[in-house]
Amino acid sequence: MWPLAGQRTKHPGDTEASLIARAKAGDSVAFEQLSSAYADRIFMLLLRLLGARGDAEDVAQEVMLRAWRAIGAFRGKSSYFTWLYRIAVNEANRALQRRARRPASVPIGPDELQLPASGLVDPALHAENRELRAALMRALHDLPSELRTAIVLRDIEGLSTEDAAEIAGLGQAAFKSRLHKARLRMREAIGDDALLASGG
Amino acid sequence: MDDHRWTQQRISQYFDSELTGHGRRRFDRHAQRCAECSRAVRAMRALIYAMQGLGGPAGVHAPATIFSRVRLAGAAGPGSPEQA
Repeated sequence: MWPLAGQRTKHPGDTEASLIARAKAGDSVAFEQLSSAYADRIFMLLLRLLGARGDAEDVAQEVMLRAWRAIGAFRGKSSYFTWLYRIAVNEANRALQRRARRPASVPIGPDELQLPASGLVDPALHAENRELRAALMRALHDLPSELRTAIVLRDIEGLSTEDAAEIAGLGQAAFKSRLHKARLRMREAIGDDALLASGG
Repeated sequence: MDDHRWTQQRISQYFDSELTGHGRRRFDRHAQRCAECSRAVRAMRALIYAMQGLGGPAGVHAPATIFSRVRLAGAAGPGSPEQA
């Protein structure tokens, strides 16, 4: 049985730069060590974008395989994290396109996500409002994928506009426009009365 | 463009701290006077706050199989460049 991600042999003192260099030279253990640091966040992102754990698990494997195959072309123009996130967003979009082409695709509901509340104190108080939380997940699920990507990266993942735009493969102006549309669609779906009643 | 429409179109920017100087003052001035915009600002604040509360990576872990395909492909070394 394989060990858990990140549990293979590590070299004390490894930096991200040294791991990238070793991975580019064909060291798959270094690649795993490098990418393990982001594995949980990548998986969480895929859960948000795809909605179903089984799909997220499958796509997460594909993301890592694509990253491994492409690591030789990584030039460091962006951070490794940004580069890996972009692959994840691309793979999620491919998976959504495949799902859309399936004639009898099973609708994915927010109940499948089974996500925990944030560790942040104040936002978690809001998230304890189960009705609001369910409404947010439904509205998020119903967004077109390009709008969902924008709001997940910026508002849930908490990335900067610059990083989120790069990951989404957009210029900053285009990204901001999508984010604005996504937030308006979410507000419309949930209703301002419900949002204001949540105490935000 | 009138202040009302201008303000409505910039609510996202306001919360992303992208309005500064004159723009920020114009936004604040109108939002304080306009009940509709004031309500929209409060609703957007609540939405963004609630979205942040949907959770980070704490408590969710990648499956142990996440590197399975890499390990199967690993012996051959990294493949041809796909994305950079």
